[in-house]
Amino acid sequence: MGILNKLLGKEKNGKKCECGDSAVSNGKYVADSPVAGFIPDLPVPPGGKIKIAIYWAAACGGCDISILDSDEKVLNIGTMADIVMWPIAADGKEKDIEAMDDGAITVSIISGAIRNSENEHMVKLLRQKSKLVIAYGTCACFGGTPALANLVNDANEVLKYVYTKTPTSADFQSQYAKSGAIIPQTSYQAPEGELTLPVVYDVVKSLDQVVDVDYFVPGCPPTQETITKLLDALVNFVYNNVALPPKGTIIGVENKTLCEECPRRKENRRIDKIHEPHEVDVDPELCLMDQGILCLGAATVAGCGAKCTRVGQPCRGCYGPSKVVQEQGASIFTAVASLFPVLEDDPTCDESKIIDIMSSIKDPLGYFYAFSMAKALIKAKVTEGGK
Amino acid sequence: MADFEPKIVAFCCNWCSYAGADGAGVARLQMPTNFRIIRTMCSARVDPEWVLRAFSKGADGVMILGCHPGDCHYIGGNYRARRRIALLRMVIEQYGFDPKRLKLEWVSASEGEKFQKTVVDFVDTIKALGPTPIKKEE
Repeated sequence: MGILNKLLGKEKNGKKCECGDSAVSNGKYVADSPVAGFIPDLPVPPGGKIKIAIYWAAACGGCDISILDSDEKVLNIGTMADIVMWPIAADGKEKDIEAMDDGAITVSIISGAIRNSENEHMVKLLRQKSKLVIAYGTCACFGGTPALANLVNDANEVLKYVYTKTPTSADFQSQYAKSGAIIPQTSYQAPEGELTLPVVYDVVKSLDQVVDVDYFVPGCPPTQETITKLLDALVNFVYNNVALPPKGTIIGVENKTLCEECPRRKENRRIDKIHEPHEVDVDPELCLMDQGILCLGAATVAGCGAKCTRVGQPCRGCYGPSKVVQEQGASIFTAVASLFPVLEDDPTCDESKIIDIMSSIKDPLGYFYAFSMAKALIKAKVTEGGK
Repeated sequence: MADFEPKIVAFCCNWCSYAGADGAGVARLQMPTNFRIIRTMCSARVDPEWVLRAFSKGADGVMILGCHPGDCHYIGGNYRARRRIALLRMVIEQYGFDPKRLKLEWVSASEGEKFQKTVVDFVDTIKALGPTPIKKEE
């Protein structure tokens, strides 16, 4: 990691920071102290403030909120860094970023998938201007919910649905659009000049499929523990010259699956029916799979602390696949299929009976690939016979 | 399209179907040469990820051949396999593939002729369907 540190202009045994607080005592930032992640009276870094850009591409904004939600820890960012861009919370325009030198921004934290030309332009610009790029949140890491749009034929189908079929827009179209539906155009010649809108792509991509990404922080949104780990790494690096993790590290995950973090009792029961959590009285202690509730925990990497399963909601897989598999969806439906018991008449029964059993799982692609579509082996819908 | 020669990946279980394929060869049964066999220990060893990988790399069809129900060397492997493949077929159908591109068949060690017939039928099916809808990687 010497390369990265050199890249960032950090020398070993750099100047000691002048700090007297317990968490930063003797120039050491103590990550596991009671105030981990937050240091009151954090001094300005010895080498001057670093520059941080936080950007959202195709995201819901939840990731930005999760950063703001890190309570007092977010104040450390303010002390440690100048926020040069953060559309949701701070000023900073595209032209300001363009005016910067290449590599002037220390860290760009980008959330959201890449689904239109604006997203692509901005992340490429930020990549060019930044030393480090962090894919923050599931959409940036794996495509997330936006990438489920890859399962319709093309972007026009999405636009058409959104602008003509949804109740609010259908109402508008029927009242005002007398001569054909109004759907936004990417370019319009107004008397004052040409007006343009970004082009929506047919295939939604994850951030690392568009630009080079240094670190991944999964989660929908990343949990406080994960954010703390990220902040720890940054603060430690900026103040104590502690080397950053190797490039490509997924921050905040462990080597095991969610099941090992989940406190529920596992009985490895067979299931013959799939339930939704609201359809049954969920046993608070028994494994959700044992109760017939589809849970992606067995195929999802640990790190979130099993927040959903603790409160009776099945894991939907937002932290992504465990380290040894690529296909989160295939991995979980392999497991789910094996949960259906071998029946008395299995040796003799017709294949159609098996199809009936498996058909109790509705929308398998949408369920098992809810967050990882952009990283699946087959990334988008195909059409037999070719287009 | 007349000269379309499909590429087919065939996963054969070690105990029945691979021996069946061997039998077909020893008996010199004529078969199209469009398939490539991958030997697995059991049909349940075939991870759906492998099938999806085969499709994503441009395979026109995938066959999974295992022991007859009740004959599995590992007692219940093929029951697992057929549940998985049923689910996988739903998945590839959602992707837009014709579900006939994925075939699960039972071929025992002594059924060289059935192996031949399965291959011939499947190659015909795929030839009728045409090349895979997966676009070549740009």
